[in-house]
Amino acid sequence: MAKFIIKRLLYSILILFFVMFLIYVLMYNMPTSFVETKARELASRPGAAKSYTEWLADLNAQYGMDKGVVQGYLVWLSNAVRGNWGDSWQWTIPVLEKFNNTVWYSFALGLVSFIFEVIIAIPLGITAAKKQYSFADYFTTVVAMISISLPTFFLATLLKYVFAVKLGWVDLTGMQGRDYQFLSTFGKFLDLAKHFALPAVTLTVIGIGSLMRYTRTNMLEVLNSDYIRTARAKGVPEKKVIGKHAFRNTLIPLVTMLGGMLPSLFAGALITETLFGIRGIGYASYYSMTQADIPFIMFYLAFISVLTLLGNLISDLLYAAVDPRVRLS
Amino acid sequence: MASYNLNEILKAKAGRTGNQVAVGLDDVARVKVLSPGRQVFKRFIRNRLAVFGTVLLIIMFVFSFLGPVFYPCGQKEIFYKYDSQNINYALAKEITSYTGYTLSSDISVPRTVTTSVNSVAKSLIEADEDVAILLSDDGEFLLRKVNDDVFVLSSVDAPKVASVGEGRALIGTYDMISGQISFTGQDIEGLLEALTKNFNRTGGNFTFEGVKYSYEKDVAKSYNIYSEMDGVVTFDNSLPESFAGAFEKAADDSAFSFTAGGKTYCIVKGITGSDAYAVSGSEKNALVYTRLTFNVISSDVKVSDQLKANALLNISGGNSFDVDGVKYKITENDGLLILKDSDDKEVAELSSFSVRRYTGEDSIDYDLKKEIEEIVIAMAESGKTTEKFMYNLPYQDENGIYVYDEEGNLQYSEAELTVTQRYTGEYVINCDQVIYVIDMFASSSKEHILGTDGDGFDVLARIMYGGRVSLMVGFVVVFLEIFIGVIMGGLAGYYGGWVDNLIMRLVDIFYCLPSLPIMIILGATMDSMRMDTYIRLIIMMATLGFLGWASVARMVRGQILSLREQEFMVAAEATGIRVRKRIFRHLIPNVMPQLIVIATMGMGSVILTESTLSFLGLGVKHPLATWGTIINSVSSATAMAHYQHIWIPVGLLICLTVIAFNFVGDGLRDAYDPKSKR
Repeated sequence: MAKFIIKRLLYSILILFFVMFLIYVLMYNMPTSFVETKARELASRPGAAKSYTEWLADLNAQYGMDKGVVQGYLVWLSNAVRGNWGDSWQWTIPVLEKFNNTVWYSFALGLVSFIFEVIIAIPLGITAAKKQYSFADYFTTVVAMISISLPTFFLATLLKYVFAVKLGWVDLTGMQGRDYQFLSTFGKFLDLAKHFALPAVTLTVIGIGSLMRYTRTNMLEVLNSDYIRTARAKGVPEKKVIGKHAFRNTLIPLVTMLGGMLPSLFAGALITETLFGIRGIGYASYYSMTQADIPFIMFYLAFISVLTLLGNLISDLLYAAVDPRVRLS
Repeated sequence: MASYNLNEILKAKAGRTGNQVAVGLDDVARVKVLSPGRQVFKRFIRNRLAVFGTVLLIIMFVFSFLGPVFYPCGQKEIFYKYDSQNINYALAKEITSYTGYTLSSDISVPRTVTTSVNSVAKSLIEADEDVAILLSDDGEFLLRKVNDDVFVLSSVDAPKVASVGEGRALIGTYDMISGQISFTGQDIEGLLEALTKNFNRTGGNFTFEGVKYSYEKDVAKSYNIYSEMDGVVTFDNSLPESFAGAFEKAADDSAFSFTAGGKTYCIVKGITGSDAYAVSGSEKNALVYTRLTFNVISSDVKVSDQLKANALLNISGGNSFDVDGVKYKITENDGLLILKDSDDKEVAELSSFSVRRYTGEDSIDYDLKKEIEEIVIAMAESGKTTEKFMYNLPYQDENGIYVYDEEGNLQYSEAELTVTQRYTGEYVINCDQVIYVIDMFASSSKEHILGTDGDGFDVLARIMYGGRVSLMVGFVVVFLEIFIGVIMGGLAGYYGGWVDNLIMRLVDIFYCLPSLPIMIILGATMDSMRMDTYIRLIIMMATLGFLGWASVARMVRGQILSLREQEFMVAAEATGIRVRKRIFRHLIPNVMPQLIVIATMGMGSVILTESTLSFLGLGVKHPLATWGTIINSVSSATAMAHYQHIWIPVGLLICLTVIAFNFVGDGLRDAYDPKSKR
């Protein structure tokens, strides 16, 4: 087991090394005019921490932009490994500070929608599988398909239109109400929760579909397997067949998948956060990307690459841990 | 393979033998055999959702690719409309500034002079004087008043003859120790003797060559020497005796001019004193300034600038004058100055009250001008700030075109005009006019079934063209993905070993690359480079395809790994078929079903990605329509609230198309392999 973990870790690091190299090449080849114009623009904004020449000098020092690609990459890598990620241009504070300011909002949003997804999708998927080709099955299939096919921005706009414009229940964008500063701690929490409601609904609806289909498929497979037929044949009550024999076996792939999703809770929802003005990491990175804030973009891309690899690793390990038949080698 | 229909075979048998034949249970004819393709097709059409998706897709393709052929509006066609709007029709005001008309183009008048004419003319009126001098580096100019409304600016030769005033000027310092004067300007010979003759250590004054001087202690043993000016200093000996007195008096009154000994002198006031200039020689008229405007009465005579200038010169006196061989005359009756030609026909009226179209052009007919003037005078008397009246304006039909009758005369129709006084003292005349505007945010109508958007584009046309682009992007990207994916996956699967290892590591890396952030960065970069929208489209498609091949490669490799071991491949190898043929003729066709499924599902996700990017404004750009940009154009809070008829149908279209692709993909997978995982 330990050998397997170490092997996978080393392998992930190798992949990460090359992924980061590709991303570095992308940044390295950004048109100079674009970077310089944006740096100049951001430096002339009120509250800019540094002047434009200072930023470009920083960029060269930290990212080795004045050196060759490979050399520059090594310069950046040695800085990054030591935790030196530089100052964000767009947000005028150190990248890690901005990350720490934003990531918890994203995590809260991701966690809430993740919980809702699990609560809604898994029971629906199981019901659909239990009665294949019934109305419930078709309904679930169609709902899952709609959920997968809905563009995030359209759903977000639709929700905003109904709940913010027509009904006026929530604010159109933003994370806090106007009187946020004057509220008690609990009031602040409620205010935040109210502003997080629509984004959470958006993420839940978007995410529900694939989980529902996955659950249904795996449950169907289990239900068609021999041991279920055997259980039914020997007269085990249907409730027990589903609850004990089928569901437990369906859990194996489910846990693997959900475990793999855990790291991505930190990744933030780029479009949802931007559209709803939730100042999480997705929102921060979106504006960094449009403003050529190289320090923050590099950090964010590195961060989500790590999360993806971590997700794969976790799901591999969980697969082995949950299913005793699987042997790691 | 043809299908066998049991009934037909039985009938045929019965027909041959003429009586019923018993068919045994194991008769071959009982077995109905379908070709694999037909089997797949039959399974596919049994799936209701898949059929629904197929129908939807067919509709979508017909709509986007054939729709524009029959629909008259183009995607970049801007629509205009005629709209009756209350516009600012005219502006009326009392003219207070003077405009110049050139009398002689030989004389160049410097800008410093022309710009000061207005203020000098106003001060002349205030002081009730007739003439003032304007100085410049290029000579002197005389501004002569004809009456309060007309001034003539002429070039004149006027030397400076005298100065008057009180003041002192530092001319040097006297150092007691060295006994020398250091002059600030020109040395004055004999001044040292005059100073030391009667020197007082505390300071004093003395006269030298008719000029008064004074000196004051500055620092120890050092004195400042000033020349004192007092009274009139003349530079010309030929001035009459009465000059000095008249000059001083005029300077005290701060007059602009005075006469002495029958000659006119002009005064220019300086900081410490005033200078007198003798006007001598002939005056050459350069410009005539007026605050009158020519309101043309009869439109057959063109009132040229030359005519205007000459008329202004002859404004008083009733003389007749010639312009281009035609005699003109100005007469005054009832306080109106009328310019008449030799036939005593009224050509124009000169008035300081101007009525112009709001755009500044002078195209309002005389009667309306007079009417407005009367109303404005009445308003000023009664203290009202708004007034309405009816007047016949040129008639416009609903297309904003002026209507003429058979003889080519303009047709008029009665319109209500509103005169409003502004706080600036001007009067604005409003009326309803039909004007030509971009037809923005029109609601649905016969020509525009879904209305128009904020740029005057037809929404339905844009949805059709947008569908074209979106579907095309889907096709191209998926084709690229499959193309790269099949080659990479095929190579990896067939060769195995280090090739497989290398390619699979590459796949892992591409799997890990975050494609949406990369597309956003790319979009922002292309934004700042102001790249052409078609080039952007191509780059976007290429990048999406390049980032998306990994999953295809992985699938193809997996399939080929299992196919490779099968008997037909062994046979292929044994018969010595070339490697390339083995891969692309024998292995890849066996992967085709999975490839078709993956392509169909991929179309949906590519369309989603493309519309998301376009919605963010980072994909396909404005004039080119895609479903994302259409929603983007009405995504602001206000537009979103008011123009649901634009963004909701488009959003639903995206959603429906993606659903349809997914349904078809699902259906195909089930049909190809009913036992496969869903």
